Amino acid sequence: MKTATSETIWTMRREEEVMGTVVVLDLYADASVTSDALAPSLRAAIHELHEADRIFSTYDPASALSRVSAGTLDLANAPRVISDVLELCRDARELSDGWFNPWGLAGGVDPTGYVKGWAAQRALEQLRAGPARAAIVNAAGDLVCYGVPRTGELFRVGIVDPFRPDSLVALVDLRAALATSGTYERGAHLIDPSTGRADPRLASASVSGPDLGMCDALATALSVAGEEMLAIIDSLAGYEAFIVGLDGTRRWTTGFALAGVTDYNLTAAV
Amino acid sequence: MVVLGAVIGLVSMASFRSTPASLTLNTVAPTNTSAIASTVSVAPMTTSPTTSPATTRSATGSTVNYNFGTLAVQVTVNGTKITKITVPSLNDGGNYRSQSIDAMAIPVLTHEAMTAQSANIQSVSGASYTSAGFTQSLQNALTQLGI
Repeated sequence: MKTATSETIWTMRREEEVMGTVVVLDLYADASVTSDALAPSLRAAIHELHEADRIFSTYDPASALSRVSAGTLDLANAPRVISDVLELCRDARELSDGWFNPWGLAGGVDPTGYVKGWAAQRALEQLRAGPARAAIVNAAGDLVCYGVPRTGELFRVGIVDPFRPDSLVALVDLRAALATSGTYERGAHLIDPSTGRADPRLASASVSGPDLGMCDALATALSVAGEEMLAIIDSLAGYEAFIVGLDGTRRWTTGFALAGVTDYNLTAAV
Repeated sequence: MVVLGAVIGLVSMASFRSTPASLTLNTVAPTNTSAIASTVSVAPMTTSPTTSPATTRSATGSTVNYNFGTLAVQVTVNGTKITKITVPSLNDGGNYRSQSIDAMAIPVLTHEAMTAQSANIQSVSGASYTSAGFTQSLQNALTQLGI
């Protein structure tokens, strides 16, 4: 039987500038797996991210999504993934009781709050199909993983303290996806659809679950809706939440894989 | 990005060395990295002792452009271990959006770099806006320190 102490694992990191941010992909491979063997799945993962960027960019007026939104491209003639994502956005809108609403603003549909997580999830699926035993993708603070870095040990990740950005508020055992949304990120997707204002009710909202696109959308909804959204997420199979209130109070759903509430300071720790 | 990847790899190696209790793996370096060596770094985990002298030094990276202006990153190391990352120079044009992004993005970026040294945490979640400019300047600062 293989034990943890006899395991030989090496890691490979790729930092890819895409979707207006940097996506970090960490692959964990057994000693028998060469970097050449990892390359095809890594290339496929990177390709997913750039495809998502090309199709869904709201900054590029020539992107398929921009043209659909402007009414110059018929949805039926657009890449199929746009219809797919809009359908998933409708699901997220329904599950979030309307708090996540890409149609809530003037100027057409903006699924940005879903796409980054969705794309990172698709990149991860490409890695999963490859020879790496485990991998974790960090799309600007939204995380998704498969496998374990070592036998008997889950991926352990931290949630940033919204008030003291050099600290963490929680440690989490990650089995799939975790997205965090906060007041400091006042993009259009954090506008309250009921008031039309950027008016978050929480300092930080994290959602874990099986799919990063949905986690991303629910974290956005939670950040805007506040604690009433906690009960909704708690009722969704597989999804859990952790919040930091505007007064610093931390609350989480009972199933949230909290490995520790912490004041761990990264700067002080080294 | 190439050198930075290698640097981060080196730094995380150093940190793993300093925390043997949390990592008990043997090291196997990949046999061939040429296929994707231009953009990928390999960070083997190891518990072997480091021989780097533990002296504290710091350097400021070159000022680089990023999405909203210019920034420069300062890094402080003890031996080969990063102990502090700051952004002494940041010019974001002063508009609200870029300031609010910077207020969070910079700390998260420092998190990501520091996290590479924390053997007990594999990643960090937080609303953020990351910038290649940050890593570019950090790379430059570390290069100045010969790391």
